[in-house]
Amino acid sequence: MNPLIPLFVAVPLAGAFLTMIFGKFVKNLNRYIGLIVLLFLAIISYYSIVTVSGTVSVYKVGGWEPINGIPIGIYMVMDSLTAILLCIINTIGLLAVFYSFTYISQYTSENYFYALFCLMVAGMNGVVLSGDLFNIYVFLEISAISSYALVAFGVEREQLEATFKYQVLGGLASLLILLGIGFIYWKAKTLNLADIKVALGSAPEKIHYLLVQMLLLSGFGLKAAIIPFHAWLPDAHSSAPSPISAMLSGVLIKAAGIYVILRLFFNMFIISEEVAILITTLGALSMAVGVFLAIGQWDIKRLLAYHSISQMGYVVMSVGVGMILVARNTKPEVASLAIAGGLFHLINHAAFKSLLFLNAGAIEYRIGTRNLQEMGGLSQFMPATSSTSFVASMAISGIPPFNGFFSKLIIIIAAIMAKFYLLALIAVIVSIITLASFMKFQRYAFYNKEVQKDEKSPKEVPFPMVASMVTLGILCLLLSLLVLPQVRDIVLKPAIDILMNSQMYISPILGM
Amino acid sequence: MNEYFSIIVLPVVAGILLFLVPDKIKTAKGIFSLLISAFTFWLAFKIYNFDEAKLDLKALLPASLIPASLSPGISSFFAFRCDNLAKLIILFVSLFTFLILLYSLVYVRGGRIKNYYEYFMLTLGCSYGAVLSDNLLIFLTFWGILGITLYKLIQGNNEESSATAKKTLILIGASDSIMIIGIAILWKMTGFINMSEIQVPTGTALSCTAFLALLIGSFTKAGAFPFHTWVPDYAKDAPASSSAYLPASLDKLLGIYFLARIVTGLFIPGEWMTLLLLTLGVATIITAVMMALIQHNFKQLLGYHAVSQVGYMILGLSLGSFIGIAAGLFHMVNHALYKSGLFLSAGAVEHRTGKNDLEDVGGLSKAMPLTFFAALICAMSISGIPPLNGFASKWMIYQAIIDFGGGDGLPQKLWVLWLVLAVLGSALTLASFIKFIGGIFLGRRKPEFESVKEVPAPMWIPFTVIALLCIIFGVFATRLVVPHLLMPVTGEFEFSGFWNSGFVSLLVLVSIVAGALIYLATGIKKFRTSDSFIGGEKFYEQTAYPAPEFYKTLLEFRFLSSIYRKAQEKWFDIYDLSKKAVLWCSHVLSNAHTGVLSVYSIWVIAGLLIMLLIMI
Repeated sequence: MNPLIPLFVAVPLAGAFLTMIFGKFVKNLNRYIGLIVLLFLAIISYYSIVTVSGTVSVYKVGGWEPINGIPIGIYMVMDSLTAILLCIINTIGLLAVFYSFTYISQYTSENYFYALFCLMVAGMNGVVLSGDLFNIYVFLEISAISSYALVAFGVEREQLEATFKYQVLGGLASLLILLGIGFIYWKAKTLNLADIKVALGSAPEKIHYLLVQMLLLSGFGLKAAIIPFHAWLPDAHSSAPSPISAMLSGVLIKAAGIYVILRLFFNMFIISEEVAILITTLGALSMAVGVFLAIGQWDIKRLLAYHSISQMGYVVMSVGVGMILVARNTKPEVASLAIAGGLFHLINHAAFKSLLFLNAGAIEYRIGTRNLQEMGGLSQFMPATSSTSFVASMAISGIPPFNGFFSKLIIIIAAIMAKFYLLALIAVIVSIITLASFMKFQRYAFYNKEVQKDEKSPKEVPFPMVASMVTLGILCLLLSLLVLPQVRDIVLKPAIDILMNSQMYISPILGM
Repeated sequence: MNEYFSIIVLPVVAGILLFLVPDKIKTAKGIFSLLISAFTFWLAFKIYNFDEAKLDLKALLPASLIPASLSPGISSFFAFRCDNLAKLIILFVSLFTFLILLYSLVYVRGGRIKNYYEYFMLTLGCSYGAVLSDNLLIFLTFWGILGITLYKLIQGNNEESSATAKKTLILIGASDSIMIIGIAILWKMTGFINMSEIQVPTGTALSCTAFLALLIGSFTKAGAFPFHTWVPDYAKDAPASSSAYLPASLDKLLGIYFLARIVTGLFIPGEWMTLLLLTLGVATIITAVMMALIQHNFKQLLGYHAVSQVGYMILGLSLGSFIGIAAGLFHMVNHALYKSGLFLSAGAVEHRTGKNDLEDVGGLSKAMPLTFFAALICAMSISGIPPLNGFASKWMIYQAIIDFGGGDGLPQKLWVLWLVLAVLGSALTLASFIKFIGGIFLGRRKPEFESVKEVPAPMWIPFTVIALLCIIFGVFATRLVVPHLLMPVTGEFEFSGFWNSGFVSLLVLVSIVAGALIYLATGIKKFRTSDSFIGGEKFYEQTAYPAPEFYKTLLEFRFLSSIYRKAQEKWFDIYDLSKKAVLWCSHVLSNAHTGVLSVYSIWVIAGLLIMLLIMI
């Protein structure tokens, strides 16, 4: 029993309520509550990832012990995969909150912002920690609803339209997920992930099983913005305030989408080759279509948002390759390499994509536009923004020595080792187009114009924003170290083992 | 400290540290970089005298830096190798870095580029790393970082140069990504990741794919057809010192180094691959030199020649014989020498006049005698005039082609074609350099350049040294340079036919002396000065020597003119072609995103239904 587990949800929830109650009376209290909450969460998530190392620890809320080996009550499960996700959520959350110190002061009602932010973090932490389907759904809704409100935070016409689309499509996804959960409960009579796997047995009813899988895949696929369920993302991610865009693109689609898909399809369902091929195809499709949509954009944040679709495609495709190999029960080391590539890219994407959104926010903060055609020559005035955005652009386009290069390298090598030559080729082409579109961003935002410095020219953004961006930039460089076999074995290997070997996940939960 | 370790890490660390120093004390940073580069030059000399060695992490790092728990697998993962080829490249990398840094001290003082020396040092360290690494993944990492520094060494403060910077990094980055495929296939086929352990015949489709993928990497870096299009643009828009450093010398050294590894180590090229290489080689020579003939901007003219000369190196290396490989590598060294010399002297002209168009300058030979001397030597050398080094290596390439002609395969039977096109390319090179020399240094000096002076010593020393090296490498080619520098790399070979560079030089010297004697003896002391003859038209004071108009007739041939027009419209540029295709796809897909919510909802439901239908 790990006593830290409930804190991941309880502390941000408490933070949200405290902000709403006391925030009105003390000036700037809200932001310090937010910062302290996230700092605390980040520290305990680092502590968790160091201590978890391959074990699975279960927290039974309320101390409800299983009866006759059947889990009742709420289980919160911490394993290596969860720990990785917690680190991502809370690190990016911490930096986004610090960034918001100055950024959000442009808006009114900061209290709501910090409260909703804490609520969203609580929801995401809850999703990755839940051991049963229904709580995943509940926490998913907590994070989704707070993100609906945060997308609309500017209350301009554009934001309201975006949030409306996001809500409708998000609602559709919730519906599909709930339907899927209902179908599972009908046959399995339980909602605990580990228990479902046992209850549905090794030879499930085919039609029912497929229906459930497809419902959940499309529901969570929408949260992960996999094509064709992606249409809400570019509007929502580009209209939100930049720190929120960073959270949505950098974290939410992973915690609420990719993570759940990984967990369900590896640990709850028995992987079948057909479904694995379908997932791989969806990944490859998102990867290719997303990047073509991105390169035509002139609005920085829309460009970045479309790239989230494409980069998530890499993750899904690579994990899908791993799934196919696991289903075929061949080449376990290549399967593990493919999943490692996917997870590595997931981590990296969190770092560079949130950095890019923060850069976009910094540009918008100073010159008030997101249109690439209206800017230029900013490298003269905003050296920190310019250099960090260069780092992030190189990282996302897969140029060494930044982290994105190494994860793409692993993904492509794994695809070739598994003899999926076409996928490797698509991955390379997409990577090239990604590079092209980020060179466009770099060129039009930071170069392209000869500009003279005078009083009117924009200045570098204030310290909290610079500090967050620089930290993320350094992370983009440091995360490259994960490619070294020794480091990879400590961080990624336990998570991959859990995914590839469900028994490691099920046994500790059911106490077998 | 271990030499191999320091030669890679020292410049990188120096580069990173320099980022912390403000750009205001640029000259101090430059001097510091110069010292580091001098030190690495000394290390390179030391390494040159070592034996060939394979190194893993334990051999590289001092024992105190390695954690005891490190598994042997990781130690062997960091595989480096120092063979004779790598030593040769390292030596020249050091030489060019030192000379061009010296030049930069004055040249970039005006703050042309932010963080110039930082990226310079990073380039140096990563080049050493790329050349020394044996593990292909580590090689690729260093190789990729060079793309970034290349991008950062161009200023990008106006539309043209930022477009060039963008194009350069896209092409270089794309080739790096494609190389991953080749490396992964090699790894899968052989189970090895170290270059020294891989040797694959290009028989199967898979190995051909790997071969082509790696070839694209090497061709893009070296600037060979059809991936060369960034080189001329870069040469036009970047500062001359950057062009001299990367596209002209280091990228050539590295690109051709990797090509040599591909054709002699990693793969055993089959008949068709040899044919492909030879075809691309002559295509590179001819297309680039044809484009060079019509250029007005003298830096861009040099850029096209930086492409064209790569063709000779490819020809030499793809022949596969010892003399061919030696000739290709020798031409690589020579090209790096004279092309960086040319860029540096072009930079000197630009530095003093502020112009980079042949139309705007002229008659500078008296004002800048040292620049003129260096540019003349280098230009004669690139055009293959004996006894300079360009002649020596081209001659070796011709010899190798003739030797190659004895075989049975299709590429061997076509040897006359390769030879004729190579010689034609050389002649056209000479033609375009007449334009270069004539346009900049000869003719009448314009009144606004009356006060132009020679550049300061840190600028003229590098290109003068390079010009002298061009002469030395040419005159002592068969005696000293080839046997001592290149034969250790390739193995012993005999020169076929009668040719001795020293003897040829003697003949040239004798004829020059004889000419001088005749000139003095017959007493032609007085000669008439007259206006330039420009086809009978009236001579105006303003009209200088009309060098830009040379070869304008080429543009008027019916067949050529349409090709040239299409080339100007970038019809043959692989970058622009793919850009059009990508943007078209993007346009089509964007049109589907109407922003109507009901459509999006239908996509979701339809997606679900289709997935269900497929699965059931």
